[in-house]
Amino acid sequence: MAKVRVLGPKDRFDAALSAVQDFGQLQLAEAPSRTGVERARLSPPEQRRRVQLTRVLAEVEEALRLLSADGARAEVRPATTADLAHWARLADATARAARALRDRETGLEEERALVSRYRDFLSAVLPAVRQVADTARLTSRAVVVPASTRSTVDALTDALREQLGGEFTMSTHELPGGDLAILLVLPREFSDKLDARLAEARVPEVPLPQAYRDMPLERAVPKMLARLDEIPLELRACADDRRLLAASRGAELRQARAAIDDWLSTAAAHERTAVTEHAFDLEGWLPERSLAEFMRRVTAAAGPAVVIESVAREAWGTEDAPVVLSNPRLFRPFEQIIGLLPLPRYGSIDPTPFVAVFFPLIFGMMLGDVGYGVLLAILAVIIHARTERGSFLRTAAEIAGPCAAFAIIFGVLYGEYFGDLGIRLLGIHPIIFDREKAVFAALALAVGLGVVQVVLGLVLGAITAFHKEPKHALGRGVSAVMVLLVVGALLAAFEVLPKGLFTPAVIALLIAFPLLVFAEGVIAPVELLATLGNVLSYARIMAIGTASVMLAVVANQMVGAFGGTVVGLVFALLFHLVNFAIGLFSPAIHALRLHYVEFFGKFYNPGGRPFQPFGHRAGPLVPETTRKLS
Amino acid sequence: MNMMWIVISAAAVLSVAALATAWAQSKIGTAGAAALAEKPELAGTIIVLLAIPETMVILGFIVAVLILLRAGGG
Repeated sequence: MAKVRVLGPKDRFDAALSAVQDFGQLQLAEAPSRTGVERARLSPPEQRRRVQLTRVLAEVEEALRLLSADGARAEVRPATTADLAHWARLADATARAARALRDRETGLEEERALVSRYRDFLSAVLPAVRQVADTARLTSRAVVVPASTRSTVDALTDALREQLGGEFTMSTHELPGGDLAILLVLPREFSDKLDARLAEARVPEVPLPQAYRDMPLERAVPKMLARLDEIPLELRACADDRRLLAASRGAELRQARAAIDDWLSTAAAHERTAVTEHAFDLEGWLPERSLAEFMRRVTAAAGPAVVIESVAREAWGTEDAPVVLSNPRLFRPFEQIIGLLPLPRYGSIDPTPFVAVFFPLIFGMMLGDVGYGVLLAILAVIIHARTERGSFLRTAAEIAGPCAAFAIIFGVLYGEYFGDLGIRLLGIHPIIFDREKAVFAALALAVGLGVVQVVLGLVLGAITAFHKEPKHALGRGVSAVMVLLVVGALLAAFEVLPKGLFTPAVIALLIAFPLLVFAEGVIAPVELLATLGNVLSYARIMAIGTASVMLAVVANQMVGAFGGTVVGLVFALLFHLVNFAIGLFSPAIHALRLHYVEFFGKFYNPGGRPFQPFGHRAGPLVPETTRKLS
Repeated sequence: MNMMWIVISAAAVLSVAALATAWAQSKIGTAGAAALAEKPELAGTIIVLLAIPETMVILGFIVAVLILLRAGGG
């Protein structure tokens, strides 16, 4: 990042600010506070307008959201006072119309859900209800007993029998979810007693939609059943109305949103500017590579009286500088993995390149199967082809590509082609080891990678801390060396390395120990043990890999294990599909965890401020080549 | 050593580690889901917190394998 100061005569302020906004790559700093300058303030009419436009913007956004017309960008054009007034009316009317449509749809959905739930019951009792209606001395009640209190039905029946004798009938119907709907038919003179009894037993009547509550059942039931055919048509009409509304007003509302947002951003920018009686002073950050172009464009637009100077690096604190991750095209999708955590602080190490290498490597080591790798690659290509650039799925596909490549590479090394199918059908043998049998070799490879990544993390931690905390940097460095010495001593003890190395390694450890305590304090030995635990945590690569290959082998054994070959084949394919799904999810989560906890824990310094440049909502008005930040 | 006891030991190690992990993850998962409802930006931290107890079952698995291979003569 570079920090710049834009200075000029006050009458060139609007032109300069407009050029800065058009460029769209400068994040404005707080107004500088120096003697003789003060923060620019909005005039009272401008402040009133800001309040009004904030309200209008909220209404516009609400209308666009309700109409699902949020996506497309709008071109920014200057707005007049008449435009703003028109947009305020348009937003208000459209939001009201969209809300009315939404409420109608909600009401229809609720009505459909309610009638659908009681449809079978209502259809079943309709003849009885009609019969009751034709008989003046009879009346009916439809009630619902919740599943949790079904036992009260017997008590209710006994109580009614006691009060009414045998002069009533009950038809019960089980509803989805276990509730019971009951139709009670009884002589009209007993209706008060029945109501009292139902109230006492807290048994509610079947809830009817609002429009039918005051209607007798024999008229309400046929109408409700007929509504089930009418409701989908009405819902379709609502959707058509919404589409029409979106088509007729969406573009104008988006334009309004862009223009209002522009005005509000400019108002906020005013308040971040320092002014004197005759001059203005605006400061901010922008990517260093854009500095020359920024100077050229702003000077060209605002005139030579406006001066742009670069503020010396020593004159601004890194705490205030915004952070933008800048990586080569190949690594850029992996910034999403960093994006799940708070941004790294300005000036600290961006771990994206390391993640771009280690994440697919660890994923591939775990999945390690040519068949699954090819499937993943096909899936990634399909998703990549069908999604828009910058979308979440496109990024996921771009990450899945290298992961699939590593899964295929390790599949060849392990000799796994849908589990042991390669060995059984084609006689292809592993190049390094068979994960199904060589558990210790797989464990050694996993822990070996752990040593590499954890030591790398400690070295990066030492580099990060070198300038500001040299003592801490020394501690990180000593920790890295001690981890290597512990590993060396263990390998010598188990005679993987020459046994003669054991004693020198232990002596070196004893010398390094007080150095570590000096650098990191008395807690250092505990931290060293935790670091060794971090290394052991990489054993999960072997554990998940072994589980994956075992499941694939079991899937292959299903062919022939179920009597018929075809049935076995179907089961085997289904099992492979399940294993493939697990094989995508589990290694991804564990690779993430190894990075976030074991690797990042050694050097990652979170707390960076995101880069939010002052620009147009529709995007900067500069050529594509200079628009990219990284 | 009796093969039955070796197998039972390996199973016990894995079971206890798995139960401990499940218990820890249930607690973290509940709290994590509640936190995510209010602050979706904590997704990364919650994933990390949720994955931390899995170390127990993985180390349990390694120990179980070691018991089977070493004591079982594998």
